[in-house]
Amino acid sequence: MDMETEEVRRLAADVHLWSAENYGEISMLQKKVLIVDDSPSQVKLIQGYLEHEGYRLVGINDPERVEEAIANERPSVILLDVVMPKRNGFQVCRELKNHADYNAIPVILVTSKNTESDKYWGQQQGADGYVTKPFTREELLRAVRRFA
Amino acid sequence: MRSASVLILTDEPEFARLLTACWRAERQAPGITVLSSELWNDHEAAAHELVVVGPVLEGKLPGVLRSLEPAAAVILCVPADSRELAQLRSRYPRLVHIPLREDWAQTLLLVAGESLRRAEALRLAKQAERRAAKNEHQATLGRYMVDMKHSVNNALTSMLGNAELLLLEPGQLSSQSLAQIKTIHSMAMRINEVMQRFSSLASEMREAENASQAETVAEPASPGSHR
Repeated sequence: MDMETEEVRRLAADVHLWSAENYGEISMLQKKVLIVDDSPSQVKLIQGYLEHEGYRLVGINDPERVEEAIANERPSVILLDVVMPKRNGFQVCRELKNHADYNAIPVILVTSKNTESDKYWGQQQGADGYVTKPFTREELLRAVRRFA
Repeated sequence: MRSASVLILTDEPEFARLLTACWRAERQAPGITVLSSELWNDHEAAAHELVVVGPVLEGKLPGVLRSLEPAAAVILCVPADSRELAQLRSRYPRLVHIPLREDWAQTLLLVAGESLRRAEALRLAKQAERRAAKNEHQATLGRYMVDMKHSVNNALTSMLGNAELLLLEPGQLSSQSLAQIKTIHSMAMRINEVMQRFSSLASEMREAENASQAETVAEPASPGSHR
């Protein structure tokens, strides 16, 4: 398993964290993660990864309900898929970062779009991190722990 | 630079000699082939960008012109009062006629230069069209691969992730289940490797396409510039 994990690390996802230093120390009491992905199985998987670490988790499949979920749940960090119907993750991220009430919440894009231009574009939308699919549990945790 | 090729078709050796000498005095001379109407074989015309038809034996001219491709670039250099000329002009409207006057050689070189430039421009345009068609096929394949990559990566995330979650608590699994999950995990890893290769291939294709476009742009467009 160790060798395979190493192989996963070599081949699979890479993690980019652009602005963790902007958020300072996060209280352990605030560890709530909002997962936005149109695929229920992806939401369930991420929940499976994070619930072992004691995070409180909220998952939604409809990107048009992101603001409502934020207002209700006040998450510490948002894990946001990019390729979604009706409203893509880049668009959601840009709008959150332009919103005075929500722009302080770190957004990590979690996506299968893995080219350099995709990552650059994600950063331009104000994303604080970028995790490409397929990712390992360790990679996802590394990204989330920087912010929550 | 791609060297242009010109066929001089005449039964008058002095015509061929003078024209060849004038051309060779130019800065960039094309490859020149001289043939008489007796030796003329219509299959040879396709190998030349330009055919210059000079004075030929009585009655041979219509046969020579008939045997040339309608799209071939042809310059006819015969006396202006040639009996056949009026008929030929009506039959071959694209025929360029240069009268055999005092300055015929200089006029012919000017017209030939323009004709060769046009032939080269057409060649490059056809080449670009072929490349565009080929690139379109590659683009279709590339778009398909990109679409597929997204779906496969999502599926792989679930396969690898759920296998990893199960392997986090191996105590709850029988040794057989554990081995099966490890197999699923390692097979998913192989698919991931294949997808990585597809991504590399897509990048290589993109680079090849860019190189191909750069090559088309860099090619000279004036091989017939003889002045």
